[in-house]
Amino acid sequence: MGTQRAPARRREAWLPYLLLAPGLLLLVGMLYPFFLGAYYSLTSYFLQYPHLFRFVWFDNYGKLLQDPLFGISLRFTIGYATVAVALQVILGLGVALLLNSRIAGRGVLRATMLMPLMMPPVITALMWKIMMAATGSGILNYLLSWIGVGPVNWLGSVDFAALSILIIDTWGNLPFVSLILLGGLQSLPYEPYEAALVDGASRWNVFRYITLPLLKPFIVLAATFRVMDALRIFDVIYATTVGGPADATMNLHMRAFWQAFQWYSMGMGMAYAMVLLLLVFIASYVLMGYWKRAAEHTTV
Amino acid sequence: MRERFAVSPTPMLWFRRALLALAVAALVAWTVFPFFWILLTSLKQPLDVIAAPPKIVFTPTAENYGALFIGQQRGLYASARPDFLRFFFNSIVISCGAVGLSLLAGIPASYALARYNFRFKEHLAFLFLSFRFAPFITFLIPLYILFQQTGLYNTYSGLILAYQLISLPFTVWMLRSFFMEIPLEVEEAAKIDGCSWWGVLTRIILPLSLPGMAVTLILGFMFCWNAFNYPLMLAGRQTFPVTVGAIQFISYEQVLWGQMAAASLVAVVPQLILSLFVQKYIVRGLTMGAIR
Amino acid sequence: MMTRSRLLLWVGVFGVAALACLAPMGEAVAGEAAGLAYFQQAKINWRQFEGQKLTIGLNKHPYTESLLPLIPEFEALTGIKVEYLILPENEYGAKLTADLSQQRGEFTVIMAGAMRNWGYVPPGWMVPLDDFLKNPKLTDPAWFKLEDFFPSLIAANKWNGKFAGGTGEGPLWSIPVMSESYILAYRKDLFEQHKIKVPRTYEEMAEAARQVKQKAGIDGLVARGTANFPTIATGYLSGVKSYTDGKWAELDGKMNAQFTDPRVIRFSQIWTDMLRESGPANWANMTWYDGMETFAAGQAGMYPDCDFFAATYEDPKKSKIAGKVGYALLPAGPAGTTYSGLFTWALGMSKATKNKEAAWYFIQWATSPRTLLNATVEYKNYNPSRLSVMNDPRTQKVMGGWGGGEYLKTVQENLKTARIAWVPNPERPRLGDTWARALHEMYFKRLTPEQALQRANDEVNKVFTEIGLRK
Repeated sequence: MGTQRAPARRREAWLPYLLLAPGLLLLVGMLYPFFLGAYYSLTSYFLQYPHLFRFVWFDNYGKLLQDPLFGISLRFTIGYATVAVALQVILGLGVALLLNSRIAGRGVLRATMLMPLMMPPVITALMWKIMMAATGSGILNYLLSWIGVGPVNWLGSVDFAALSILIIDTWGNLPFVSLILLGGLQSLPYEPYEAALVDGASRWNVFRYITLPLLKPFIVLAATFRVMDALRIFDVIYATTVGGPADATMNLHMRAFWQAFQWYSMGMGMAYAMVLLLLVFIASYVLMGYWKRAAEHTTV
Repeated sequence: MRERFAVSPTPMLWFRRALLALAVAALVAWTVFPFFWILLTSLKQPLDVIAAPPKIVFTPTAENYGALFIGQQRGLYASARPDFLRFFFNSIVISCGAVGLSLLAGIPASYALARYNFRFKEHLAFLFLSFRFAPFITFLIPLYILFQQTGLYNTYSGLILAYQLISLPFTVWMLRSFFMEIPLEVEEAAKIDGCSWWGVLTRIILPLSLPGMAVTLILGFMFCWNAFNYPLMLAGRQTFPVTVGAIQFISYEQVLWGQMAAASLVAVVPQLILSLFVQKYIVRGLTMGAIR
Repeated sequence: MMTRSRLLLWVGVFGVAALACLAPMGEAVAGEAAGLAYFQQAKINWRQFEGQKLTIGLNKHPYTESLLPLIPEFEALTGIKVEYLILPENEYGAKLTADLSQQRGEFTVIMAGAMRNWGYVPPGWMVPLDDFLKNPKLTDPAWFKLEDFFPSLIAANKWNGKFAGGTGEGPLWSIPVMSESYILAYRKDLFEQHKIKVPRTYEEMAEAARQVKQKAGIDGLVARGTANFPTIATGYLSGVKSYTDGKWAELDGKMNAQFTDPRVIRFSQIWTDMLRESGPANWANMTWYDGMETFAAGQAGMYPDCDFFAATYEDPKKSKIAGKVGYALLPAGPAGTTYSGLFTWALGMSKATKNKEAAWYFIQWATSPRTLLNATVEYKNYNPSRLSVMNDPRTQKVMGGWGGGEYLKTVQENLKTARIAWVPNPERPRLGDTWARALHEMYFKRLTPEQALQRANDEVNKVFTEIGLRK
């Protein structure tokens, strides 16, 4: 079942557009604010100094490139997203397989898996912040001390801050990946598996040559959404490290927010946001290419 | 897809089973522990919250929950309480509305993208996705200005429309993937029997993609429920959802962790109910074989 | 047969019974009437703007908490309908600025104050309050008693609009509702037990911190450490001002940054070294409440920060160290004087307000002697901004008990030299953020103090040039 079909009959030629219309209408309304935001990135728009407002072409982008924090946050943004998504997809696949199989305790697992998603990221981050306290009242270090691991300076040290963010982010979003992959696993057709059974294929081969390829569209889908969100991760960082310590968790979104909402420098804030947007665009474009190819190959 | 590879029990198998059980246990522990900690925190008095070393055994109190619903007029922090129920209600209205609207618009759109071939198809699909690219601040100030000018500020409809940025792209792409999993033959058979596209959609596609729909629905609901930055700027006191309400426990001279924990847990309840309800659709599994 | 005495007896019984029935009702009526009666004393017509509507945006604070149950009273008094919105400080700031910049008028009465005014006044977002105060139809000066406010606080809220100067002159933009200054809270019990000297210089403070860590096994001190301007604003900046004997400012008259002053460099070195050596492991992401909670949990020896945190320290329900805390002035500089910073929340008015007089009525009501007294006595709004409230026996009883009287003594001493530590400029957040990042670079030894402060200096200079305030 792929995207190749016989050409649509004439009287149905307009049908797809009609079906798409409501959705497009909703989103087209968003184009105006978007273009406004893009326009602001080309201006010197300071909320507090309306008299300084004027069109400055790409000045903001020039300043951005000269800002040493830009390089730091760019590297962190890309690096973090890569590591986080890879980790979460692999783990998510494992969890989905677990959830799908007949093992003890999977009912409990299924029931609990959704829970992290139910917490707003802001609250999740605050709760983890308390748990990760490096002072005496942090429960995480307390538990670690039971197994003899020394107190870890989770959020306050340059070495561990990014890891801590990764942990919090993974806790909150692993269920998302698992669920999409589980839904995918559940919707896979039986035939290939029956055929494999008849052929006596090994478990690993079944996984590698049947499950994985069939699941690819879902893996790519989950990865795409995770990449989009990991590149833009904000709430968790804002509530815990605020980009520190010493810029160890400074990403582009945080920079954009800082410029726009702490310093009320809208022009620069939007410029940072546009750069981030471009990054997400590129990543999604590439991943969507994968999705298309994967979807085409899942013709049964 | 069920386990179909039966093997006779061997030590290796028991070892594998034990390992898997351990994995499950670890996963459950890792997932549940923060909730456990939030629950404990919500039952603690301020002194116990800051205790070092952290207290697992303590005298619980219901005053944090009481403060949420009954409110205290004198002495402490009267403001958030009377509003909490209203915030809760707002969250329900906005999230349901947003997801509902997304499904309404998204199902036809996903069907078109899954089944039909037409010009600009992939471009339009990508366009849908692209609205989720932008960091929230790209939209925030322009939306704020726009909403103020059009009177959509601090209204349910305004927020539901703004939330489409969160839920619509996700809905369209998820449903598209699930729709594409349904074999063409099933549809062709229905068409031969005389079904129009509408019939095919409602009688074949939707029922068959129930697990996918369930997943999309619940994840979409959760994304909307947990949104924080959009409602912060685009809503006012009458329409704040619980996410904005929950941070009200950060005051100038103190953070009320106990009450924040209680508020967060209470806010989780609708999502819990929804997920339990939706569970059976996810778990049911696709009985493709039954159609053959 | 009714004799006179019998008649008298019946009248008496009946009269007493009648009074007994009426008394509770009388009390209630008297109570409410007493509430409004207090305001009716003012020789103004409170009902002039009956029927109008006000929306108020406030940040979450004990003072704003105290207003909420009283709002029905205001509505009954004036006939003005009030809608309010409360948010934590950061979120409030964002929403307020958005509203002010668009001049939407959603927030009419706003929480402002000295430093915030510097950002809101230049673009013309606020209304000066002097005209309202002088208008006999709107304000009864004898009843409102503007002179009852601490002079330094009123001065802090006056500004003539000139950057790098001018606080204390010009129009009054907002009326202060609380004040905070910065003192050293320390564990008196530990200091006495281990014979540690209460520090009078910053070098002594580093030594005291060291000793606490060695002998008592807990962190010597805590301090704010996140990479943004609140980290600078309290203990650190007061330290800089003290260390430079109150004569240094972060910007000169021409808006040139002054971070590279050798005394500032030296002090920053002492500060970051002290924190690295004896401070908490996760200093770099400690917020004000992290510090306060850590100290209140008995996990640190000192906390140089807001004075009114004492309300938490001394509450046995919220603190493990109630009764064990000592309060002292922050250490002094070489010349021997401490110059603490000062902060005040104040009520101001947005220019976009459509019914300004009604808004003024709210401000006047909310900052009247009795409302502020209620805020402090019942809702723990510290420190009070009115002398009458500070001297009220109930306030004195509570605050006087803190640290066995040490708190009040220290704060009163502190207020003699405490001043707004910043120089009026509209980019205080940005300036402070840059400065805090420099502290991080020093703390983690990525740059020397000279290099870090030089970099911050250059960055701030660039900012002011960009916005046209510096040539």
